Amino acid sequence: MKSTRYILRLVLTLFLITAVVAGLLATVNAVTAPRIAAAQQEKLQKALKSVLTDAEQAETVEISDESGMVRTLYASPSGYAAQVVTPGFGGDITMMVGVSKEGRILGISIISQTETPGLGAVSAADSAAGHSFRDSFTGLSGFVSVSKDGGEADTVTGATITSRAVTAGVNAALRCVADRIEQGAAQ
Amino acid sequence: MNMKKQFKEGLLTKNPVLVQLLGMCSTLAITTSLFNGIGMGLSVTFILICSNVLISALRKVIPSNIRIAAYIVIIAGFVTIVDLALQAFLPQLSENLGVFIPLIVVNCIILGRAEAFASKNGVVASALDGLFQGIGYTAALIIMCVIREFLGSGTFGGGILNGGEGIRILPEGSPAMLMIMPVGGFLTLGFVIAGAQWLVKRLDKKEKEAEK
Repeated sequence: MKSTRYILRLVLTLFLITAVVAGLLATVNAVTAPRIAAAQQEKLQKALKSVLTDAEQAETVEISDESGMVRTLYASPSGYAAQVVTPGFGGDITMMVGVSKEGRILGISIISQTETPGLGAVSAADSAAGHSFRDSFTGLSGFVSVSKDGGEADTVTGATITSRAVTAGVNAALRCVADRIEQGAAQ
Repeated sequence: MNMKKQFKEGLLTKNPVLVQLLGMCSTLAITTSLFNGIGMGLSVTFILICSNVLISALRKVIPSNIRIAAYIVIIAGFVTIVDLALQAFLPQLSENLGVFIPLIVVNCIILGRAEAFASKNGVVASALDGLFQGIGYTAALIIMCVIREFLGSGTFGGGILNGGEGIRILPEGSPAMLMIMPVGGFLTLGFVIAGAQWLVKRLDKKEKEAEK
């Protein structure tokens, strides 16, 4: 019967194409996966270095985090660095927040984000506007809020939601470090 | 098919964005600075050429009932390979293009050209079609980017020139923020399409007059 053969041909052709593409993707993935992981690790180290002066000596420590945003906390002789994931306008923003032993912000570095190009993405950009936004957090402590909400940190023009998201992440990091310092003092 | 005609079609008379109105999503979303436009344009051009060539080579093997499914698998496969390769070997570029690469899968220009051209023409013609349609797409994006960046941020060449800041033309604070928001995208696109239509009509008229 011709129709059965035709149907078989349809199934087999599509199956073959899918199988070849899947095989190709598996090969490409096997080659690229370790390199991608290494590149991400490198990005993380770079972010760590930008917020802590002695990043080489940083070690991960146990955390008690109520906000659920802090992923990892690194401690070094000069202070702490918290890797935080905070929900932004267009997806999660991953960043590194450096906090001194006194609970002051040493610096923030945005590792990855998917914010609106030209608006929210300015927060992570390697431009004057991006640097001035991130630098406006340096030295702040306690509870941080953006200028739009009457706080001390800058707001990225046209990206209030992104700015607030970054601030929420910074506050989670500050809170986490404060808890850690308190625990240390109690021991 | 002659090359000159294909080139003219890709750039203007059958421009994927301005005349065929394909790939609107990426056109509206990313045209906020010159770098974005060039990055997206080149990525799409590259993938368009690859998928056109492969689909054209396989056009006699793929039965027509399942052609769309087969095209999508091929296109998605290509985009994923490019995405992974960029992440692994050119992390800086991948970071800059970040969102745009996966967006290419859903860019209907690629499927549109596969269906309208590559499935009916030879490999060389399809490769050229991919190249010219890609250039047309890139050109349309660049026009949109330059207009929106100038009106919305007051700069030119954002993302590449002047250390990523772009060259400032309008003083800070004066530009209309609206223009780099989605609203500005729709407004600009409307005017650019109108301009392209005017040009196409004028060219048509001239051709007819020349025939007389």
